[in-house]
Amino acid sequence: MKRILAVLAFWIMAGGQSWPEDFLGAPLPAGGKVLFRTESRLELQYPMSHDQILGFYRQHFKENKDIRYRDWKAETYIEDDGALPWHSIRISKGETETRVTVTRDSWTWILGTLALRFVGVFVVLLFLYAGMSAAGAVLSRVAKVTETEKK
Amino acid sequence: MGTFYTTGIPALSWKYLVMWAIACFFLYLAIAKNFEPLLLLPIGFGIFLVNFPLVPLMGRNEEGVPQLLQFFYHYGLEWEIIPCVIFLGLGAMTDFGPLIANPKTLLIGAGAQLGVFVTFTGTVLAGFTLKEAASVGIIGGADGPTTIYLTQHLAPQLLGANALAAYSYMAMVPLIQPPIMRLLTTPEERVIRMRQLRPVSKRERILFPLIGAGIIAILVPAVMPLMGMFMLGNLMRESGVVGRLSDTAQNALMNIVTIFLGISVGATMHADKFLSWKPLFIFGLGLLDFAVCTAGGILTVKVMNIFLKEKINPLIGSAGVSAVPMSARVSQMMGQRYDKKNHLLMHAMGPNLAGVIGSAAAAGMFIAMFN
Repeated sequence: MKRILAVLAFWIMAGGQSWPEDFLGAPLPAGGKVLFRTESRLELQYPMSHDQILGFYRQHFKENKDIRYRDWKAETYIEDDGALPWHSIRISKGETETRVTVTRDSWTWILGTLALRFVGVFVVLLFLYAGMSAAGAVLSRVAKVTETEKK
Repeated sequence: MGTFYTTGIPALSWKYLVMWAIACFFLYLAIAKNFEPLLLLPIGFGIFLVNFPLVPLMGRNEEGVPQLLQFFYHYGLEWEIIPCVIFLGLGAMTDFGPLIANPKTLLIGAGAQLGVFVTFTGTVLAGFTLKEAASVGIIGGADGPTTIYLTQHLAPQLLGANALAAYSYMAMVPLIQPPIMRLLTTPEERVIRMRQLRPVSKRERILFPLIGAGIIAILVPAVMPLMGMFMLGNLMRESGVVGRLSDTAQNALMNIVTIFLGISVGATMHADKFLSWKPLFIFGLGLLDFAVCTAGGILTVKVMNIFLKEKINPLIGSAGVSAVPMSARVSQMMGQRYDKKNHLLMHAMGPNLAGVIGSAAAAGMFIAMFN
């Protein structure tokens, strides 16, 4: 009976101390404390440095070509350009304490970035339009002046 | 018996039969229907050649040396050389006069990229990766080299399917566009006559590639390998001082790289890679892509007409997809159907060329998004 209780106690304690191993398929280093959790977002605090956490992810994703790393001032941003259910992992730049935030793939982001890029095509061609119009105006004025001088 | 196993017969399977049928279909389109024969013929034959067991064409030998078609593919497409050289030739063949004379048609070329972004969304919904979605979306831009360049950059595994879809639909522009043009325009709009374009001076023509290259290099540097070559080709043409180079870029060089492009793209379509739901899906989405791009161009003209005193005939909006000069010819044909004296061809060339720049800009946006 004592042994059963001991095993049960171990499992209960282990359950209480446990952390999720992944969130939406994004791996999580062991030892994190959950700060915030919804279906689309998970925030964890780790008693580790930013470099240790980043090393974990670099090792984990070394075979995955669709993973992109962006080094920002306050955090490292890991983005999935593949078809995984998570969109980004943000690792704050801490020495001893590091916060990791995992977010789900977001249609708002996808549609937002597409709309922005579609507008971007207009902007490129608008600049070209402006450049061509300006060049056309200058050249026609030069041509008029030259013609007047000839006359 | 050992000799028998050195032949391809024991390794034949139904998959090869399907690929032979696909190859023959594209050869039929090229030879019998004259649909984009310069590309579809070498692509079709490339598909045919690589879909036999044991043929030493698209792999590497035991020492790791690339076999013939792998060699073309590696240096031509993986190194992204062929699409850029084709753009050099296209630049040397292109007269930007209609676009310079009426630069506001540039906006039509931007509007016609609508399908690229709409298809991206649909492709992601179907479970493709973001990079694959971008490469499928660009098919609607109707620019073969740009499609190949972007696909090779982002999703090389889809190269064969994307290139084939792009060139097939470009060839089918006269079938795809007219119903959409009829649907989105009123009888009054179809007979709008546009003022004859002003003559463009040689100085303007020489300045255009410089201004164009400069602006694109600043705003979308990622696409400069394509656009830089395009503008160089155009400068060679318009400067008039390097006739031999311009002639080579337009003819001999263009023809040589077209052969290598076609056969290399065809060679990527081995049965093991091609026979899945993805290529079929890409073909379906490609059609939608073309339709939305056509609609995007026409709707852009309609929006512009709200603000313009001199109205633009919305039939030239469909030419915003870059299939040069096919889609401009479709605008001309449709215009003449409703008014025999209305000549829209030169007016439609403006958005047509803007479409080339617009699709390259969209490709640059996607490359920048993932780099």
